[in-house]
Order: sequence, then structure tokens, then C-alpha cells
Amino acid sequence: MGMWDIDPVVRHWFWWAVTAACVLWYSTVTVYVAIKGVSDIRRMLRRLSDAQGGSSAADEGRDD
Amino acid sequence: MTHFSWYVDGSIVGLYLVATMVVGIMVRKYVGKVEHFLVAGREMDVYLGIASLAATEFGVVTCMYTAQNGYDKGFAGATPGILSAAAMLLVGLTGFCIKPLRDAGVMTIPELFQNRFGPRIRWLAGVVIVLGGLLNMGVFLRTGGEFLLLVCGFPLENAGAAPHTLGGFVGSHYLEIAMTVLLLTVVVYTILGGMLSVLVTEFVQFVVMSIGLIAVTVLILASSDIGWGRLVAAVEAKHGAGGFNPFVHPDMGWPYVVFNALLCTAGMVTWMTMIQRLLAAKDTRTGRKIYTRTSFFFVCRFLVPGIWGIAALAVLTPEMVGGNSLYAMPKFLGAFVPMGLMGILLSAMIAADMSTDSSYMLTWGSVIYNDILAPFRRKPWSEKKGLFWNRSIVAFIGIFLLVYGLWYPLKGDLWTYLGVTGTIYLSSMSVLLVACCYWKRANNWGAAAAIIFGAAIPVAYLVLELVWKVQGVDSAGQVVVKSVVREAVGPYYSGIATYVAAGAAMVIGSLLKPTAPPQPGTEPASTAGPPAFGEARSRKADEAGGPPRA
Repeated sequence: MGMWDIDPVVRHWFWWAVTAACVLWYSTVTVYVAIKGVSDIRRMLRRLSDAQGGSSAADEGRDD
Repeated sequence: MTHFSWYVDGSIVGLYLVATMVVGIMVRKYVGKVEHFLVAGREMDVYLGIASLAATEFGVVTCMYTAQNGYDKGFAGATPGILSAAAMLLVGLTGFCIKPLRDAGVMTIPELFQNRFGPRIRWLAGVVIVLGGLLNMGVFLRTGGEFLLLVCGFPLENAGAAPHTLGGFVGSHYLEIAMTVLLLTVVVYTILGGMLSVLVTEFVQFVVMSIGLIAVTVLILASSDIGWGRLVAAVEAKHGAGGFNPFVHPDMGWPYVVFNALLCTAGMVTWMTMIQRLLAAKDTRTGRKIYTRTSFFFVCRFLVPGIWGIAALAVLTPEMVGGNSLYAMPKFLGAFVPMGLMGILLSAMIAADMSTDSSYMLTWGSVIYNDILAPFRRKPWSEKKGLFWNRSIVAFIGIFLLVYGLWYPLKGDLWTYLGVTGTIYLSSMSVLLVACCYWKRANNWGAAAAIIFGAAIPVAYLVLELVWKVQGVDSAGQVVVKSVVREAVGPYYSGIATYVAAGAAMVIGSLLKPTAPPQPGTEPASTAGPPAFGEARSRKADEAGGPPRA
């Protein structure tokens, strides 16, 4: 019996719909986040690099 | 019988581990300050945040518990996932607690408490959070290792190994050796790169983990041997209507739903590993977006492994599962997943484990440094000293996990102990956070009372469950020993009572604190202790004695 058999789908349509939504949402989000996340990482590291390059000797603080 | 192949699947896993280690170490050069180490310099954007949050909150142990829920309760076992998603969506949309928390610019929750309740409450909250978190985490390593061994077809205990030889030692300690190697890998990049390494490796881990989860789930649903129909039939046969509706399941009902609603909501606003992603976000708006856009993941977090657990119910006989339903899902996967995909699945689960371990070590380490060690930092420390101490704390936590959680296995009822430590933490911290953010009358008396009651009730339940027992007869006529408090009260009513009691203690304790009479010609003194966090920010550097913050 496969995912498209009508009787168990209709009897428990809520869980079938939630399961289908999970698979579809998770697949889509994985691809989308994978692509967008690379840009986020690059931007984050560039901002940190810029901030470190512009920081003054005062960042080192006192030694205890 | 497993389909695991050292050549194919072992190579996939090895490649994944090397890639993760390289990526984790490469970002080390960007760590120059404590703020970079703990919250990635607050430069995290939305999509990285989503990946990180999802990867942190899905570990092997989560997979095991949620699959066990599917095996034991059917589709209704995914109810906590639906409740978590709803709570997270609401919190993200409204900004409940998370907006004032992020706006305050703090690095941990106890730091926020200092401004309202004083340094003693901050320290006490830090201790509660760290104890709850570390004890919770202590069981992850062994359970994760058991999953990996079962899927690969290795025995959990090799009784045939020759004693007193190196080969015998290795043969009888597969689990400990494998998990030690894994944890050392995680500790190395976490110590070197802190939150930056954690975020970047979690991104990789999220992608690998998601591919594995989706592939196996689609394989189960599309399989001609299993498929949706057989899953439904198995749940109907074993659990009846209760397998689809939590309110009619004999082991669940409305107390289960209410308790989990409280637990999930409290977790969304106070579980420190999640909050740390919020605090690492570049601004409040980004943090809230991360919450709303990640919320549905929590349905997947319960339902996807739940489907695997139901598949185990459909395919395996009780004799094949043995006495512990926790092992049903890994035994099923070992026999069902083909070679090649097995390597991806194992990489996915190792990824899940590594992301959780690294995040959790860093999170509890940040609370130790920022809050428990705060009294020792009255003079601000240099960034170099701060980084050294943070790295050392992560190393000590790694040693603790190895000793406490792996090489010295815990005995007794682990899941009750997890429930107790979780409720102690979440009940009191959520009450303190809500009061801190939204009730001006809240003060340190109420906070202390909430922490005490948040701990007393779960501990009392645990002790009574162990010591107060009676003999009875079950339905088969067998003599059994039952816990009186478990039969009369149960863990869900006890959990609900803890939240109610912690809330009541906060209110009553705060109202009981005397109000100092106003002096002539001055403003009335507040009974709320130190000023609200928004007002105190300008004095925070003087009072807290913490490190300078960018």
C-alpha cells in the first residue's frame, strides 16, 4: 500500500496532511537555507573581518 | 542484519567528519573577543540562524525519544512537536519575552535578571541553568552512541571479547571509544572558534542532517513494503483511536497536553541553547524572524523520527525489538536502509549529534563564564584572559561529559531524572523571565521563592516516587510494585503544579517584600529591587563588574 491509497489517507487526513507538509516544507527549506546561508556566512565573516581590521589597541584591555 | 559497509558508508562518514573539522578550525582567525566567542559578535543573519537553531535542537537523542514516542503512542506522539511549533510561532510573532531579552543586549538570561533582582539571583539562576543543562546533556553521549552501534550492527556489549588485552578492551568498549573520538573532534573546533565555529559547522551539519532525514522518510513512505497504509494500519492495530488523538490515548489525555504546552512555551523563551541564537542575531527583528521561520521545524522534529518509530512498529515483532522500545527505530533502520544511503544517514545522525554537543557545551560554558564567575570579575578582564577562561570551561565540560556520561554510565530511571532536571530549570526560569520583562512589582524575594518552589516540587515527586511504594496486582493477576505518587498524581499533574507553584511563589514573594517608606523630599523607594533593565543599562558596567562589551 503506498502513500496515495485513498482509504487510509481519508480516514486520517490530518496526519497525512501534516506528514506531507513536513516532507515538502523541510525539503524546500533545506535547499533555500543552504543557498541563502552561504551568503549569510560570507557576510558575517566579512563584517567580523572589517571590524577587526578597524579596531584599536584599546580592544586588548588591561591584563590582570 | 545491517547494510552498513565500512568501504562505502565508512568512507562517506569519514569524509564528512574531516570536512566538518576543517571548516570548524578555519574560522578560528575571526575570534578576537569574548563577544565573538560567545555570540559570534552578534552578526548572525536569518538563514544561518534557522540552520543553526534547527541543527542545535535536533540531536540523536531527540531522534531516539521522538521515534520511541511514535512507536509507543503512534501519530499522537508528535503532539509535543505541534505544541512547540505553535509556541515558537506565537513567541516570534509577538516578541513575548524574546524582544525585551534581545533589546537588553545581554549575553545570557541570568545577566538580565541582575538588573531586576540583584547579583545573588543572577548567580543562583546561573547555577540552576548550568546544573539542569549539564545533567540533561550528560545522558546524550551514551544514548547517541547506542544508536550508532545498533544501526551499524555492532553489539552494545561484546561479552566474547578477550579480557585484559588491548583487543579485548577495544572489543568491549566500541561505544565509549567511538563517542570519545567524536566528542574530541567537537571539543577541538568549539574551543578554537567558539560560536563562530559552531555556527558554520552547524550550517554544514544542518544540510547533511536534512538530506539524511528527508531521504529515509521518503524511502519509508514510498516503499511498497511499508508506505502510508501500513503505517496507519500498525497504529490502528496497536493503539486504536488513541494513536491519532492524544486526548483519548490512555497514557496521554488533557494533562499530558497541558503539561507539554507549558513545557514547550517555557522552553521557547528560556532554553538557553535556543536563546543563544536569539542573542547572537544581528538585531531583535532578525531574532524574531528566526523564531517564526523555524517554528514548523519543530513539527518535523517530532513527526519525522516518529514516522520511523511507527515504521519499526509496523515491521518488527516485539521479540525483535526486545524489552526496550527505545531501540526499535535504530534496529529497524539498520535492516531497512540500503548501503550508500546508510552512510548518508549515519553522517546525518553524527551531524545531529555534533551540532547539539558543540552548541550545548558552548551554551552552558557561556553561563558559567558570564554569570557564575561574575563575582570574580569585579575588575573587567582583558579579552585575552576572557577567551582563555571560556576555552578552558568548554574543555572542562567536555571532560565532565566523557566521565559522567560515557565512561561512568548512569544507572536507574534516566528519563524521570531528565524530566525532573528539565522542570526545575524551565518552571523557575520562565516565571522569572516573564516577571522580569512584564511585572514592575517583581523583586528578588519573589525570584528566590520561584526558584525554590520550582525545584522543591519536582524533587519531592522524584523522592516520593522512589520511596513510597505499595504492592498490587495487575490485570494479569501478577503481583507488582507500584509507586503511590505516580498512580495518584502522575508526572503531568506534578509538572503542571510546579509551574503554578513557581508563578504563585513569584507573586506572593514579591508582594510580601516590605516597601520602604519614602523620605521627605525624595521619590518613593521602589520595592522592585534594582531598576528595570532598560533603565539600568547605563550603570551596568559599574555594577556588574563584567567584561567590557562592544
